[in-house]
Amino acid sequence: MAGESFVQPQAAGAVSSRKKARLVHPGFAVPFVLLVFCFAAWGSAANLTDVLVGVFRHIFTMSNFESALVQFAYYGAYFSLAIPAAMINRRWGYKTGVLTGLGLATLGGLLFLPASKLLEFAPFLVALFVLAAGLSILETSANPFAIAMGPEESATQRLNLAQAFNPVGANIGVLLGAVLILPNLTPEPAKVIMTEQQLHDSQEHDLNLVLGPYLGIAAALALIWLMIALRGMSTPAERVQESETATGGVFGRLWANRHYRYGVVAQFFNVGAQVCVWSFTIQYALDVVGVSTDHAGWYLQASLLLFLVSRFVMTYLLGIFRPTLLLFLLGALGVGLALTAMFAQSMVGLIAVVAISLSLSLMFPTIYGVALQGLGADTKFGAAGLVMAILGGALMPPIQGKIMDQAGTATAFIVPAVGLAFVTLYALFDLRTRRNSGPLVTEGGH
Amino acid sequence: MHGLAPRPLAVCVVVAVAFGVGACGKQDKNVTVGLIVKRNTNPFWVTMKDTAEQTADDDNVKLLTAAGQSDIDNRSQVAALAKMTAEGAKGIMITPADSTAIVPAIQKARAAGVTVIALDTPTDPRSAVDALYATNNEQAGELIGRYAKARAAKLGIKPKIAMLDLAPGITSGELRHQGFLKGFGITQNDPQIVGSVNTLGETGRAEDGMRKLLQKDRGINVVYTVNEPAAFGAAQALKAAGRSDDSVILVSVDGGCDAVKNGVRPGVIDATVQQYPENMARLGVDALANTARGGPKPSGYKNTGIELITRDPVSGVSSKDVAFGVRNCWG
Repeated sequence: MAGESFVQPQAAGAVSSRKKARLVHPGFAVPFVLLVFCFAAWGSAANLTDVLVGVFRHIFTMSNFESALVQFAYYGAYFSLAIPAAMINRRWGYKTGVLTGLGLATLGGLLFLPASKLLEFAPFLVALFVLAAGLSILETSANPFAIAMGPEESATQRLNLAQAFNPVGANIGVLLGAVLILPNLTPEPAKVIMTEQQLHDSQEHDLNLVLGPYLGIAAALALIWLMIALRGMSTPAERVQESETATGGVFGRLWANRHYRYGVVAQFFNVGAQVCVWSFTIQYALDVVGVSTDHAGWYLQASLLLFLVSRFVMTYLLGIFRPTLLLFLLGALGVGLALTAMFAQSMVGLIAVVAISLSLSLMFPTIYGVALQGLGADTKFGAAGLVMAILGGALMPPIQGKIMDQAGTATAFIVPAVGLAFVTLYALFDLRTRRNSGPLVTEGGH
Repeated sequence: MHGLAPRPLAVCVVVAVAFGVGACGKQDKNVTVGLIVKRNTNPFWVTMKDTAEQTADDDNVKLLTAAGQSDIDNRSQVAALAKMTAEGAKGIMITPADSTAIVPAIQKARAAGVTVIALDTPTDPRSAVDALYATNNEQAGELIGRYAKARAAKLGIKPKIAMLDLAPGITSGELRHQGFLKGFGITQNDPQIVGSVNTLGETGRAEDGMRKLLQKDRGINVVYTVNEPAAFGAAQALKAAGRSDDSVILVSVDGGCDAVKNGVRPGVIDATVQQYPENMARLGVDALANTARGGPKPSGYKNTGIELITRDPVSGVSSKDVAFGVRNCWG
């Protein structure tokens, strides 16, 4: 997910030893560094995809709904591959999972090459699907793999360190789009007077701009694949990860738990709102405010930086305030900002769009923790359900795109507004409901 | 350590691919060209100048720029032509403030070997310059005429037309006027026309003119305006007369950002034809740089394109939505 990274909750439990433990097992320094690059790589790819929504609309002169299918392909792949990825890890181990993910993602990046020659949208969707499928497997494997690379006592530290590179990669992804793609696209007015042949040539030129960063990502992933593949790795802690087994009736118990059930719904809308906001920030800047293509990408970059900074601030505040109280306040703020974007069709609206990232920064880990609180042995399966709520990122952007086509770019921000309203209601539900206490489950690096 | 160390070559390849760094080809020879606009305060000319500077930067062109003090400041343009020629400009783009009076100065520059392109406004005679890159104003008028007619038919109203023109003798205004009539399928003396007023393209004069026409016939329901400041003036007069936006079809030409965002988007202006000063500048710089480097001289007329911008499209008239208008507006 854009800017997010999912991790199995048991990682965070093994945290609080005061003894100074090694960060990684002997001989695992280089593999761990390579794994860190993986975290950055999927962050880059995910947020470069946010830029692509607007870029494909420009290149193929397509509707917003059609261009939003980029996210449908990307997050649809993430959703579809979550269970197969877990099966690969269970059957063959994390290293195989990481290599499979890297290999598939590399293939996806390379598929941009034929896609750019065909000058059709569909091949790009296929390439994105394959890329995201690989990244889904990579992410599912890399998180527990990072845990397994060192002593249990330093698991959270290791995971936090690795995940810290995810937002770094995310920012690099947007930077690639903002610097290498957006400013170099053929200007729209120039297309107004182009002949068929000139339009064809400009499309080819613009698609080559898209190709560059993805080939770069593919090359980097292939390099990491080689370096991991050629290293002998045995991760003793992997056995620990495998030892847990599900007990019967888990789905029934989870379904009966309203905090969990509503949590999955809230997470669906949170992820959907986040992907919607980041997918259409550039379009808001272009369509509503009239920011030039050269500069539009910087507003998405600002969103991600705000998200990153406020993550740290929220981590501090979570130690002071009740998490769902903060979730409620920031959810309400997010709704207000989305409504501002709808009605203040100006720079104020664009600033509101950027500021939504502030409220988003808290949501994923908080919903994750609250929904899983007190689930005990059902936590692992519960976590999988929350991760699969990423489906919101696949389904909500096309809805927003459709509304953009019908009612305008600003009005379509009703979609993230509704998503954030659901998150706010979930926080309110938790605040007004008594529940059995249990330790709040933390979500890895968040 | 058993892993492969990243080799420098591999790293270079990754960086090169990721950052789109191709082979560093030979850069084109640096050449000097000039741009003379009417003035530096009008957003239309500012957009033109900004685009020219950006294009020049991309094309390894040294760009000299100059502007008059007003839209009719011919003297400054004459001086700028001489100065740029003396400074070695191989080509000059000019937006003539006075189509006739500027001709001798252009002839001098051309005699010195400078290629001259008129942007936006033609010289009189047109042959005084090598080429003209401009909006087809008649086509622009025709497009809003067709739109107004189709929308009137869609709304089922019997047209009573007000025409808010520029001023007698100014070619662009006359061409837009003629184009509108053609697009609407009427002639100058058609009884559907309530009246015409000259506005000089100014909001205040347009408001006064519209008020007078409404006194003549309160039932006016189609308003042609020569540009967007005039459209805003007409809208003010209509509002003062108690007419809602929905009861009048108001059309215009230009596609400036203020009009698209605050006129077309809220429905005050039903449609406007957007023109593209950035195309004029980009094509002009490219053509002059190419000529200076030994390419062919630009010649004749190049249409720099128009699009109809509306939030209420009608069938049979090609148009773009407001989002497109905002993305590509000038100013």
